[in-house]
Amino acid sequence: MDYTEDDGTYSIQTFDLTKRFTKKKHRGIFGFLRKERKQRKQQSESSRVTVALDHINIKIRSGELFGLLGPNGAGKTTLVKCLSTILIPDKGTAVVNGFDIRKQTSMVRASLGLVIGGERTLYWKLTARDNLMYFASLYKMPRNQAKERVEELLEKMQLSDRADERLEDYSTGMRQKIAIARSLLHDPSILLLDEPTLGLDPTFSKQIRGQIRELSDKHGKTILLTTHYMDEADQLCDRVAFINDGKVVAVDDPDSLKATVKETELVEITCFNPPLDVERHLKSLCPGVDIITLVHGDETKGNPSKIKIIGGNAEEHISTAIDALRKKNVRISSLNVGVPTLEDVFIKLTGAKLAEGEGRG
Amino acid sequence: MNKNRVKGHELGEVTCPTGFNWTNLKAELRAIWESSIKAWKIELAYPVSFLRQSVSPLIILLPFLIYGMVLVGGRYSENLERMVGTGDVVTFIFTGYVIMGFIGTAVWAMGFSIRGEQWFGTLESIFVTPTSRLSLVLGMALHSTVHQSIGTAVEFAIIYAVFGLGLKIGGILPALGIFVLMMLALYGFGILVSALSLVLKEGWIVAEGLHSIMMILSPVVYPLVVLPTVAQQASAIFPTAPALVGMRVFLIENYQPEVIGNIFLHLLALDAAWILFGILVFHLTDIYVRKKGSLEKY
Amino acid sequence: MPRNVLLQSSAKSNFFIVWSEVVKNLKFLLAYPIVFVFWAIFPIFWFIPFVLQGQAFVGGLQSPSFGEVAGTEEFIPFIILGAILNSYVLTSLYGMGESIRREAYRGTLDYILSSPCNKAFILIGKALSESFSSTLYAISQLAISILFFGMELTLGIIMPVIFIIILLILGLYGLALILAAASLRYKQAHDMAHALEYVFYVFSPVRYPVASLPLWGQIIGRLLPLTYALIAVRSLILLKQNLPAIYLEILALLIIDGIMILTGFYLFNWMEEKTKTSGTISHY
Ligand SMILES: Nc1ncnc2c1ncn2[C@@H]1O[C@H](COP(=O)(O)OP(=O)(O)OP(=O)(O)O)[C@@H](O)[C@H]1O
Ligand SMILES: [Mg+2]
Repeated sequence: MDYTEDDGTYSIQTFDLTKRFTKKKHRGIFGFLRKERKQRKQQSESSRVTVALDHINIKIRSGELFGLLGPNGAGKTTLVKCLSTILIPDKGTAVVNGFDIRKQTSMVRASLGLVIGGERTLYWKLTARDNLMYFASLYKMPRNQAKERVEELLEKMQLSDRADERLEDYSTGMRQKIAIARSLLHDPSILLLDEPTLGLDPTFSKQIRGQIRELSDKHGKTILLTTHYMDEADQLCDRVAFINDGKVVAVDDPDSLKATVKETELVEITCFNPPLDVERHLKSLCPGVDIITLVHGDETKGNPSKIKIIGGNAEEHISTAIDALRKKNVRISSLNVGVPTLEDVFIKLTGAKLAEGEGRG
Repeated sequence: MNKNRVKGHELGEVTCPTGFNWTNLKAELRAIWESSIKAWKIELAYPVSFLRQSVSPLIILLPFLIYGMVLVGGRYSENLERMVGTGDVVTFIFTGYVIMGFIGTAVWAMGFSIRGEQWFGTLESIFVTPTSRLSLVLGMALHSTVHQSIGTAVEFAIIYAVFGLGLKIGGILPALGIFVLMMLALYGFGILVSALSLVLKEGWIVAEGLHSIMMILSPVVYPLVVLPTVAQQASAIFPTAPALVGMRVFLIENYQPEVIGNIFLHLLALDAAWILFGILVFHLTDIYVRKKGSLEKY
Repeated sequence: MPRNVLLQSSAKSNFFIVWSEVVKNLKFLLAYPIVFVFWAIFPIFWFIPFVLQGQAFVGGLQSPSFGEVAGTEEFIPFIILGAILNSYVLTSLYGMGESIRREAYRGTLDYILSSPCNKAFILIGKALSESFSSTLYAISQLAISILFFGMELTLGIIMPVIFIIILLILGLYGLALILAAASLRYKQAHDMAHALEYVFYVFSPVRYPVASLPLWGQIIGRLLPLTYALIAVRSLILLKQNLPAIYLEILALLIIDGIMILTGFYLFNWMEEKTKTSGTISHY
């Protein structure tokens, strides 16, 4: 492997990182007797293979808080797994903390702290302290040093008083804190956080975000954070990469990204009960607009849905759109012009929605 | 310790022992120890299960004993004496049965240690630590060996109290030596099974199959000579057959081994072969699983 | 909801529940061919050590002292029949409990329990398919035994043997229902199944006649349906007796079946009611 364009100051750098998965069909034992056989042969290569990562090239500077933003199935987790040596890429490689993820796996593992999604990544039958002490030994820490570090981290997570309870009696948020504490045990210079706030309530999310920010600001950690909450990325990250269908679509700091959507290019109408075909309907009324998309809100809880008109001459169509909605008896609650969010940028770039039911944070 | 960095990358300090040296070995040993302690803690968190598993070896032994005694109408078998020089059915069965639990260590405890982590959901978190994956499996081996040893001691005490056993006390030490050699080969075998169980969806069937085959090919409740010749020869690839013969030579009065040969050399050869083969397959499946991305699937 | 509609269609719909449950489970069986092969062959591996042990200890195929307690000197057919009937116990101990555990783990259990039908019928469906596969396994094991271990079977006793097996299975359904009830409530019901397996293994005449146990052991053995089924089947096959000669065993099986099934249904419905109010199911 030659590490071209390598200037040595990046904590994480990927080189054409590519990962494909073959889709498995479950058809039972006698499945091979069935007719599908012919059909399957005819199927093209592309329909049997998921390209989870497609020639990814990103560079993350030392001390940077880098966000990876993308919808479900974009390849975020796959990237994190490749970087942490859980997966071996098909093509390309990456250098993490100066070590090649293919050849120097132990050193890569020693350089990283990882928080990966999933309900159970800790032993529920062990206490928080037991969990942390055990993983400290797997990070090859000497016993005394491990003890000190565990106390320090428990203190930091404000869980010292509950450290001797089994994790089965913890709440999801508390368990997540212990998972984060585990990733910090060996004081790694790089953290990979895969959706660290998934499934947490706003208070816990906020606490955890505060901690992530602090790790970056005070302790100078290099952090790769994946999320599909764009607010989270917007608030926290120094730079953001959009990833969709295994490809990086754009990389920049949030403000610059938002600046790529011009004021005249964005209209956002919040409303209740929009008809299902509203996207198509408006599209026919507003020529010259790139994208019209409906983001469903959780209306039963009082969060309205949003209709976004993005690109081209969006602003010129405000009145047409509003008239059309009125005719359909849609209750409009507010109108926003020219204040783009990261999601708008993403929609403009890919035409795809980032997440259904946004605004968790 | 920041050696072998890709040219030009001089970044954050990494303090983690790697390679062949004393510090690293000590760290791996500690990981093995802590893994075995963790296994105890989790096991004891399920007290009912623990109790049941504690009595199960005795329960499995009983039918062999009762059946054997009903067959010969007592505890003396003329035919057995003709074959191996001793006719005491109870002592013969017990000395054979002792190793059953340790086959379980290799096949089930070690073999399913990784699968167990998959079940807990902790496998990926363990696999991103710099500790060798083997240490996890060996931690389980340590735990299960200690567990079995305690169980065997209790079992011995009970059988001794109820039936009495005709053992040569002086033979215990050399028998233990043979036992240790057998365990080493079984550890190699366990490493192999743990690798297989990670890649095969129905790993338990493979394990059950290996367990049954090893049981049939080992002279646990009968001397090897009752097996067909092919089976007798096949039994030489498992450490249990030579080990049992050897242990009985040292433990039982008048015992004449059914197959003779240099048992120590035989066991040493099996140790090397099984450990190397086990580690090789383990290494290959590790790469296979990381390529396929099937690590967290259960 | 119009109650009478439910009542009218209930016989038909209950049959449908049982039927679709059977179909579903048979599909699972076909989806895991190795599991199928496993149960068809492996019980043989478990009794081979006993065959070899017998040959080593008595130096032949007949044991006079075995004959004194068992009534037959031929110990090999004795343990083969023991192993085959015991595999019915194993599949019903683990099959139903396991299938409930599996549903709980998959998360489908909550949906099944919240459906308006009588859950016991779902269980009967599960049990029926369990027995169906057990019978396939038993036939395969028997065929292997006839081919390799010189078992003999005359056609005339097949019907009476099937009759006894049906009586055994009915009792086991009751037992399975009791276990299913327990696994709704206790996470460690699996251990209960194991414990029961041990009781059957040691106190039923699977490997040796009940008479070789101490008195208290014989009493426990006499409470288990497998004991009577084994005595009956062995009388039919090995001692060439006919059904009237074993009327006592048949009577005992009928009584045990009745008690087990009634207890099973009662416990299961009671537990299900209880889990609904305390909501511990998804706690798995
Ligand atoms: N082990 C695997 N086997 C087969 N396909 C996989 C595997 N892991 C991931 N994929 C596929 O790769 C693609 C990317 O998945 P990935 O988990 O990386 O997405 P993600 O961006 O993390 O999504 P999410 O937001 O849902 O977590 C998906 O289409 C997924 O189905
Ligand atoms: Mg993901």
